[in-house]
Amino acid sequence: MGLVDKGRLPAPLTKLFNLSRSYSLWVYQWGLACCAIEMGAAFGSPRYDVMRLGVIPLPASPRQADFVCVSGTVTDKMAPAVKRLWEQMPEPKYAISMGSCANCGGPYWDSYSVTKGVDQIIPIDVYVPGCPPRPEALLEGIVLLQQRIKNEDMAAKWRGDEFTTLQRTRAMEAGEVDREGELISDTRSISDEPMPEVAAAHPEPIVVGGGPIE
Amino acid sequence: MAQLSDDTQTPQGDTAPAALPGDGLREGIVDTLRNDIGEALLDTLLKPNDDLWVRVSTESWLATGQALKAAGFTYFCFLSAIDWMPSPFGNSQDDPDDEPKQIDMTIKQGYTGGETRMQVFARLTDIDRHVGITVKADVADDNQVVDSWSQLFAGANWHERECHEMFGIGFNNHPDLRNMYLPGDFEGYPLKKDFPLLARMVKPWPGIVDVEPMPDFEEAADAPAAEAPAGAIEGAES
Amino acid sequence: MTLTDRQQLSYIASQAADARLNVELETEGMTLNIGPQHPATHGTLRIIARLDGEQVVWAEPVAGYMHRGYEKLTEVRTFPQVTSLINRIDWLGSFANEVPFILAAEKLMEIEAPPRAQVIRTILFELSRIANVSLFLGDLGVQMGAITPVFLAFRDREYILNLIEGATGGRFHPNFDRIGGLKDDLPKGWIQETKGAVKKLEEFCDTIDDLLFGNEIFQSRMRGIGVIPADIAKDYGLSGANARASGIDWDLRRDQDLPLSYDLADWKVWTHPDGDSWARCWIRLQETRESCKIVGQLLDQIPAGPVMTKVPRIIKVPEGEAWVATENPLGEMGYYVVSKGGLGPFRVKIRSASFNNISIVPWALKGVYVPDIITILASLYFILGDIDR
Repeated sequence: MGLVDKGRLPAPLTKLFNLSRSYSLWVYQWGLACCAIEMGAAFGSPRYDVMRLGVIPLPASPRQADFVCVSGTVTDKMAPAVKRLWEQMPEPKYAISMGSCANCGGPYWDSYSVTKGVDQIIPIDVYVPGCPPRPEALLEGIVLLQQRIKNEDMAAKWRGDEFTTLQRTRAMEAGEVDREGELISDTRSISDEPMPEVAAAHPEPIVVGGGPIE
Repeated sequence: MAQLSDDTQTPQGDTAPAALPGDGLREGIVDTLRNDIGEALLDTLLKPNDDLWVRVSTESWLATGQALKAAGFTYFCFLSAIDWMPSPFGNSQDDPDDEPKQIDMTIKQGYTGGETRMQVFARLTDIDRHVGITVKADVADDNQVVDSWSQLFAGANWHERECHEMFGIGFNNHPDLRNMYLPGDFEGYPLKKDFPLLARMVKPWPGIVDVEPMPDFEEAADAPAAEAPAGAIEGAES
Repeated sequence: MTLTDRQQLSYIASQAADARLNVELETEGMTLNIGPQHPATHGTLRIIARLDGEQVVWAEPVAGYMHRGYEKLTEVRTFPQVTSLINRIDWLGSFANEVPFILAAEKLMEIEAPPRAQVIRTILFELSRIANVSLFLGDLGVQMGAITPVFLAFRDREYILNLIEGATGGRFHPNFDRIGGLKDDLPKGWIQETKGAVKKLEEFCDTIDDLLFGNEIFQSRMRGIGVIPADIAKDYGLSGANARASGIDWDLRRDQDLPLSYDLADWKVWTHPDGDSWARCWIRLQETRESCKIVGQLLDQIPAGPVMTKVPRIIKVPEGEAWVATENPLGEMGYYVVSKGGLGPFRVKIRSASFNNISIVPWALKGVYVPDIITILASLYFILGDIDR
């Protein structure tokens, strides 16, 4: 991947790599508590099948995984293990924090032994709220992660920079935005078509049984 | 494969011990215990056909366990401690914007009384007679140590470890008194009332906040019963 | 053909060399660390085992990786807040965790839930038991290396979770019990759905019986392994199916007088005299079938009436202490509630079943082989939230 090193990967190739990466993710299930059961239902049950998204929930070790799904309460005793396992994962790697315990401490926010959010230990890409989040919510979180990966600038990630989208990198190269400047294109959009134009005049809202809202 | 061993039949109600009026079963247990440990039985509370509490002296903690085990209480349920001091930080049910209320710090023990701030208590069950007993003992304020039950009931080992790390109570003759749950470098004894929950110090809970006024609950309780016709109630028997 | 002298001498020399090598090679014990993150442990349990070859010399579980400080947290919460928190102790059969706490609070307030609420409570309790143990049965296969049963378990468990969600609003962690009754009445059509789902669960039990329990490999890996005699079980406080598999005839549903409706149904308590891993798993299978029967019978006997007695909106439980224990899916779970007349409890001691069940592991794992560690742990069946609270 010498092209990635030098940062000269052409955009169509990046798009192709991003697309194929996002549709063949291997997820390491870091299931700690109750959210692990919902994660198991999302990954292992035939009803909320996650394999239809291209995500394979079967790596035997973190060294074979693309992203980790931290689900459940992280305690201070467990935190070093989380850190060590995160470091064992090879780049490019992502993390989803599932459930309110992993997001921010959750219902145990005042406990003496709970880490208030796993993002104190590892960098998180997607937060899935809920206690526990439904399996469909976790699947939406994975879809959001896939969108994030599709937009990603691989060269920046290879260098270890913060997450940057392709659009932003190209905008910076074209001189349209500076390092800290506003993004011109929306990071969430998958294509680089221009944003749709807003209608010039708002139509009056229709109020049943009354006039316009004052 | 050989057929499995047969299962037991559910015993009928008349083979289970019937509680005599006035609960002779539990009174008999108290009498047996008093015969065994005599003066060390400091106080008892018997709720007829419900439950039984006894309090014994600290020195006789182990002897009480032995006496009860010999009397048939062979099933070890649990062992823990209670800290009777009210929490100096309040229990965060008041609005933090109000002025802090003066907390009454008198130590008042519960059932069967007591003289010290900490008490150990344990629960044993007699499986054959379907009865349980809660045993309590004071822990002296200046010397927070009691005898260990781990030689008597093997299951008490872990319970005493947990009690030690949460309350700081020592146990004599315990084979291995180290932390059960907390990491090795944890400082303090969490379940003591003077151990603060730091997250609540930093950001207090807003207290009981009434979001909207509720209707008068007498009307609310009567209204649904009047509205629902008999046939609409799910699964109701006529 | 006779050997020449030279060949005989060289043979003897090679034997002597081998013997010297064996003497010099002293084997040392190896320390094997299972967990805390391991697919076979039901969560973050760490077992440190010292091995001699393939045999365990000494093993010890290290708990605390899921310790969330429940008993301290209950002191700063009101009774309804505590109810919503304690759902998460045994996170597979969540409704079952609320019931002993609510019963203890009702005992202190000296009120009883109306009969309709009692029957519905019992039905939901048994449904949570079925949900919990059906996952155990599926996981049993995974511990041995058979992957299919867990998919069947997740699929059939969805029926139960649908029912619980239909009645309470949450797939698990329903938070449905209230002091004085239940939060709400049952939705329309729930009873018919439950009857259908219970039939499906009975078929699931039969499938697992064929797939797993009749399987020769399963039997040879479980029979005679991890025998726990009855008096050791009582010393450690083993409860639930673990105790009944050692021959102790003790079931809190039958042997206690709680305001739950077990006497309305005709069911039996299963025991087994062997006390090995096979017996523990078999008892759980039979108990699941029994629970299906209980639910089917109780569904026809729900009386009409309110689901909540008259209690004030803001509940202050009077001063006192109460102990209530019920037969939860994992064993005997009890709450010792100390109240001082406030909005919340003064101290709650949570007696969780898995804590006692796992305290026997150092005793049970002496001298077993490494694969048996997994099967013994599987048969003892614990949930980490229950051990660590």
